[in-house]
Amino acid sequence: MSRTRSYGRKNLIISILFAVLIFILSIKLDPYNLGQLAVALMLFIGVLSIVLLTGASGQISLGQGALMAVGGFAAALAILNLGLSIWVAIILAVIAALLAGLLLGIAAARLSGPYLAGTTLVIALAIPSLATRFESVFGGDVGLNINFGNPPAWLSSLMGSVGYEQWQLLATLPFAVLALLFTSNILNSRTGRSWRALRDNEIASSLNGIDISQTKIFVFVISSGFAGLAGVLYGLRGIVGPSVYPISLSLMLLTGAVLGGIRSILGALIGSILVVFLPDVIDSIMKHFSPSEQVANYLPAMISSLLLILTVVLNPGGIAHGLHRTRRHL
Amino acid sequence: MEIFLSAIFSGTSRGAIYALAALGLVLVWRGAGVVNFAQMGQAMFTTYIASTLIGHHYSYWLAFIVALISGGILGAFVDLSVMRPLSRKRSSNFLDSPAMRSTIPVIASLGILGILQSGAGIFWAAEERGFPTPVNSLGLVIGGKTMPFTAFDLFVIGTVFITLVITTYFFKGTGMGLAMRASALNPEVARLSGIKIGSMRTLSWTISGVASSLAGLLVTPSANLSPSTLDLILIIGFTAAVVGGLDSLLGSVIGGFALGLLISFVNVYDTPEDIFLAILVVLLAVLLIRPQGLLGSKEVRRV
Repeated sequence: MSRTRSYGRKNLIISILFAVLIFILSIKLDPYNLGQLAVALMLFIGVLSIVLLTGASGQISLGQGALMAVGGFAAALAILNLGLSIWVAIILAVIAALLAGLLLGIAAARLSGPYLAGTTLVIALAIPSLATRFESVFGGDVGLNINFGNPPAWLSSLMGSVGYEQWQLLATLPFAVLALLFTSNILNSRTGRSWRALRDNEIASSLNGIDISQTKIFVFVISSGFAGLAGVLYGLRGIVGPSVYPISLSLMLLTGAVLGGIRSILGALIGSILVVFLPDVIDSIMKHFSPSEQVANYLPAMISSLLLILTVVLNPGGIAHGLHRTRRHL
Repeated sequence: MEIFLSAIFSGTSRGAIYALAALGLVLVWRGAGVVNFAQMGQAMFTTYIASTLIGHHYSYWLAFIVALISGGILGAFVDLSVMRPLSRKRSSNFLDSPAMRSTIPVIASLGILGILQSGAGIFWAAEERGFPTPVNSLGLVIGGKTMPFTAFDLFVIGTVFITLVITTYFFKGTGMGLAMRASALNPEVARLSGIKIGSMRTLSWTISGVASSLAGLLVTPSANLSPSTLDLILIIGFTAAVVGGLDSLLGSVIGGFALGLLISFVNVYDTPEDIFLAILVVLLAVLLIRPQGLLGSKEVRRV
């Protein structure tokens, strides 16, 4: 009990430090990097959904992008058709994603490994295609326009003029902190332990009284809620549409999770920063070599795929695992 | 009636290609225990090689043969460079549990897919290009009447049929095919009888590479060639393989034809936009009602 409580305090302190760090960055960075950092935080929430699902409970999903789309479209419909504020819409979006996750989880609890991977991949392709199918509701290929709106007056009076990118970042920050706090607490709890037991040995965990399919569905629901939250924030940058949530988004989340460390929250943060900023870094290096347009377009994808394979073969624990190991050796 | 017949014929010819893609997946799943999500990426890559050769005015048939051979080489390369080192690492902390053991190769194959797609983008530009057919792809005219199928449809069905006959003969009639079946069925016992398991795995990847390369060559004329054109075929091939039972060669072929017909009917009688949804419905229905597929062996679960 006391151990859990001390974990709780530690998690709270880390979350506050994280919030302060991002807040300082939000004052220092230029608009472009503010926008990029905001995207990284949104994807951080999405990558956490994979840390919970794949890292903790051992189920794979290539369809997190589809759940992000569910969140995004639910919020867009709530804002545009019901005239709700974005904050209410965000809550509705998370609820919609939780429900979608429940449906998905009921099917997914019976599947494992490659079956689950293939099924979620089909879902990642099928859900966004619904937007073009029911064009009148979901806005077709173009999508629906929503955004974070203007920063509230009290914030502007507190911080001077707040740019739109800065507002995106500051509006995303509380959700990222909540996601961080929630994830670190649940992974250190009895629930988190039962997820890991399920991953490591289904038979043993069932003998210890863990209901396998109920637990699997529960993980799916929680993970979907995270993906939905990431999705609505991602859509609030401007557009909710099939082109915003392509299959490559799902794969990007998975890449971030694996590169950073699929079992680590710190890894999720490192991974999401990596997938967002790596293309920028590669671009700024390649500028000196004046590459052709197609090399400039495809090189970042090539390098991140290469890193993905190298990580899986050489260091499946990702960067966070590597850091942990280095610290232990020191 | 005309429309119905034409849907049947185009569905059969499409289905033949899906059967090949499914066959490629099943070969690697049985042989190496991996669902290869990079498979149609490999096919896309070899189709680009063929397209480049044809662009340099070599004959279609030379390009065809070169693409098949490079498909085999690419399959073997994927196994030797990534999958074999991965299967050797199975004792590590991260691969201890069965859940992670089946998940990690999937992630690796997605990485390979990414490399092949971005590589094709770098080598062969991002713009789409067409791909020729060796024979006429207009409606065949017999006795002054236009038939609801084309010469190319016949070519596709013929090629796939020959491939299936050769594959069946290889597995049932040759010593090496027997060795491959043995190592898929029980690696430990096969090893004890002197079969080199590693080589058999690489051989599965090679044959699967050739089959999927053939699928790529046959399907591309109806779509434009671009780094991600064949993603859809992967999805359909996977669904077809699951419908047939992921470990049954015959089942995957039946599944391929079934999906070809289904998609053709959705295309003709409904709208092409519903294809993804139809695939998803079929996939979920099979997985929930009959997870072992039409002909697959039933998985024994201990709990």
